[in-house]
Amino acid sequence: MAELLRSIGYDRWIITALLALPLLGVLPILWAPARQAKWIALWVTLIEFVLSLGLWWAYDPSSGGMQFEIVVPWLPMWGIAYRVGIDGISLFMVLLSTLLMPVSVLGSWRYITERERGFYSLMLTLLTGMLGVFVALDLFLFYVFWEVMLIPMYFIIGIWGGSNRLYAAIKFFLYTFVGSLLMLVAILVMVWQVAAVRGSPSFAYQDLLENAGRLGDSAPWLFAAFALAFAIKVPVFPLHTWLPDAHVEAPTAGSVLLAGVLLKMGTYGFLRFAVPFFPGVAHSPAVTSLVVTLAVVGVIYGALVAMVQPDVKKLVAYSSVSHLGFAMLGIWAATLQSVQGALMVMIAHGFSTSALFLLIGMLYERRHTRLIDAFGGIARVVPVFSLIFTVTALASIGLPGLNGFVGEFLVLLGSFGPHPIATGIATTGVIFAAVYLLWALQRIIFNPLVGSENESLKDLSMRELWVVVPLVVGMVWLGLYPKPVLDRMEASANHYLQLARPGLETSAAPAIAAETAGNQP
Amino acid sequence: MNPIDLLTPAGATLALLPELLLTAGALVVLLVMSWRHRTAGDSLLAGWLSLLSLAVAGAGLAYLWVSGATPAGAPAMIALDGFRYVSGALILICAAATVLLSLRYLEREQLLAPEFYVLLLLATVGLLLMPGAQDLMVFFLGLETMSVAVYVLAGYDRRSPQSAEAALKYFLIGAFASAFLLYGIALIYGATGTTNLVAIGAKLSTAPLSLMASLGLGLLLIGLGFKVAAVPFHMWTPDVYEGAPTPVTGFMAAAVKAAGFAGLARILVECFPAAGTQWKPIVLVLSIATMVLGNLVALSQRSLKRMLAYSSIAHAGYLLAAIWPGSQLGYSALMLYLMAYGVTTLASFGLLSALGRDGERDVTLDSIAGLGAARPGIAAALSICLFSLLGFPGTLGFIGKWYILTAVLEQHQAVLAVVLVLTSVVSAGYYLPVIMAMYMKPSRVPLAHTEVGLPPVATWVIALSVLAILVLGVIPISVLDLAGQSAQALLGATGRAIAAP
Repeated sequence: MAELLRSIGYDRWIITALLALPLLGVLPILWAPARQAKWIALWVTLIEFVLSLGLWWAYDPSSGGMQFEIVVPWLPMWGIAYRVGIDGISLFMVLLSTLLMPVSVLGSWRYITERERGFYSLMLTLLTGMLGVFVALDLFLFYVFWEVMLIPMYFIIGIWGGSNRLYAAIKFFLYTFVGSLLMLVAILVMVWQVAAVRGSPSFAYQDLLENAGRLGDSAPWLFAAFALAFAIKVPVFPLHTWLPDAHVEAPTAGSVLLAGVLLKMGTYGFLRFAVPFFPGVAHSPAVTSLVVTLAVVGVIYGALVAMVQPDVKKLVAYSSVSHLGFAMLGIWAATLQSVQGALMVMIAHGFSTSALFLLIGMLYERRHTRLIDAFGGIARVVPVFSLIFTVTALASIGLPGLNGFVGEFLVLLGSFGPHPIATGIATTGVIFAAVYLLWALQRIIFNPLVGSENESLKDLSMRELWVVVPLVVGMVWLGLYPKPVLDRMEASANHYLQLARPGLETSAAPAIAAETAGNQP
Repeated sequence: MNPIDLLTPAGATLALLPELLLTAGALVVLLVMSWRHRTAGDSLLAGWLSLLSLAVAGAGLAYLWVSGATPAGAPAMIALDGFRYVSGALILICAAATVLLSLRYLEREQLLAPEFYVLLLLATVGLLLMPGAQDLMVFFLGLETMSVAVYVLAGYDRRSPQSAEAALKYFLIGAFASAFLLYGIALIYGATGTTNLVAIGAKLSTAPLSLMASLGLGLLLIGLGFKVAAVPFHMWTPDVYEGAPTPVTGFMAAAVKAAGFAGLARILVECFPAAGTQWKPIVLVLSIATMVLGNLVALSQRSLKRMLAYSSIAHAGYLLAAIWPGSQLGYSALMLYLMAYGVTTLASFGLLSALGRDGERDVTLDSIAGLGAARPGIAAALSICLFSLLGFPGTLGFIGKWYILTAVLEQHQAVLAVVLVLTSVVSAGYYLPVIMAMYMKPSRVPLAHTEVGLPPVATWVIALSVLAILVLGVIPISVLDLAGQSAQALLGATGRAIAAP
């Protein structure tokens, strides 16, 4: 397969093709009649997904560096270029985005009835923006994609969202905008530092990375600017307040992409930029204890707040805060297991939370309510829906054999060495997850069947099965046999660790031992 | 290279070719209007003739530019460098766009006096002189020519009390500002014995500024601060921008601001090459105050026109931030931002004039609700303009803001950069609700926007501007080069000035 792909030059055009195809797809949508819009969008996103699948085989797992790189000058006097590439970290983010997009399009089939052309054009634009964020290796390009992706999501929430959509849309926009503009200032400061050394400015990722050791006193401030932008996106605990609003008000497709892809941009940003650029600051004792504390607080707080939500969509929204807390913990523990675990959490969360949002959307289309109290005992009426809902919920809880388990287990395993107490507390988050999801499951699909509306619910249609079954298959596969995925990310995770903890091989073990000793009473 | 001796009559005439051609054009239009000033057709004729005059003046400018005219001999009244040409081209383009946007507007608003175009042309002559002036008196002359014409234009809708108020306010404050400026010029003349910028620069480059020269610098900054609407000299702006006919507001925001800032840059560079330590802190404070106040007050506006007026104050703050570094990059950023802001703001006011039916005072967030569904083209164009004003990537506005930030950070001035980005976030708080109202709120009455429409000519102007905003936002190399050349030309002049004995 890899040879076949190489023979057609796949590695030289694939990233550009992935970025350009959705934008080209916007044109026929704008030309064709409105009722054709969703079909065009579905075909474009399916072709995009099939194209991106080649990455799975073409990617060389033995190398941790960038692959499929393309460099085309853009503003040469500023050292700005169209530089893109994929490594074992972004590979899965790209595949996740291309998979979730056709699923979301299919999930919006009946839900979006107004201004369909606009909706599907924005979805395709969003796809380009998301992929751009994950493949950009030039900070200028990255910033452009990072911001441009805001506009489609802003409109998707604001036009097709729920009753409080205006507030949610502007809150989402402003939160992200504050962080990203400060990040722009930090990028420009670093570019001038690079220019002072090299003689000419450069926005290339590699050049800024090499500058990491020369930042001096400005490093904490620059790190703070980057970290703020990414922490808002993740979202890390006190900065999460935009998330429940945006998730709940967004239409189903918007929630799926927010949870499935956009949140990962935050953790991806830490892995790609914030930590490798400023390893000294990021792993200084003060920052480490702060981030680890906030991550654990996020795990527990997200779970506790999810528990008391009457609206099941809000419950899932808060569960994202909890899950992403695991990812942050794994990133900051900076061991091979924990980083791989964080990546697995990111992927698993993309599958299970997206599926939950889609299933809730299907319930909402039938009943026009998402209140848990409005349901009860529907397992007897809609057995297929209930089966899939249960599997997805169990995957989200982290039941062994399903995808959620692999990531959380690896994070906890890898983090226990450096941060035993924090990891111990975070472990209870898994229990809380079982509490809020199983309790919700019990109240929605078990318990006695009440209400005439519940009695006449229709089970999943063929289209709806096509929406969720691929995700369920993915959950089972990732849960039972995650090895191919872990293999592909291992070299890049090691590469990341070398950047994040220079001299890891020599100093890590004693450091961990000392810290563990210090933590013992 | 085409050396022109500015001390001979022929040389001076050649150097002033664009201004002279435009003055002649204005007089021709005035003459034609003495016979034909009754019908809407006459007004249109005046408009097209004015456009022709602007094109001829543009050809004059292009001749000087392409032939590479350079001054031969002693420093004189008018500059012949890239900075003048680029700003001149920008001003002429803004004026031409204003003419085109006014054609049907005047008819709709029953402002059928063709002298409108004559005044616009004369104001443009004044504007052309400002960035080109090599002598404080020429600068002042240009400023006053422009001001007097714009006072009348602001009050052009003589049936509207707001328009009259705008004219009076602008006139009184403008006179006040001119007095400051003139007093500053007098003091600088007293300190140096000359009004020629280069000669002043040569005198002031050696020693620290005397008290008299410092006072002169301060008064100049105050006078120009009024003209470019920097806080705390901005009080006239909202009322004047709101009261004036909308195309005139666009002209004031785009062209007058461009000429004011370009003139300010030239005076600071050529007269005070060594006094950076004195004017930079003042500009820094003015810039921060302008950005903060302009953006915060804009948040609370309901009327779109008034909101854009406050936003133009905020943009003056960003432009002052581009003046602050005093480096080649800073002046490139200034020129780039003037281009970006000029194109965007003209298109915005052009769109606003399409939305107003009973005068644009009434265009509020509520009245544009549902526009996105009823008039998708206008709503999309306005959204793109607003994203450009916000400085969003993919638009020319972002390139401008990025350049200003780069220039500011080159000098390690992180405070100014952070204030700039944080106030930009604030500006999202008033630009986004407009987009939100257009796309995300239903219109309050059915068929609310059936009368909204752009005349064909205005449609072309706005479509072209929006295209420029998007295309140059992605492929900005040409404008970056242009801005860089003009800044280099400006600083090249100082190089000469400092080298001169």
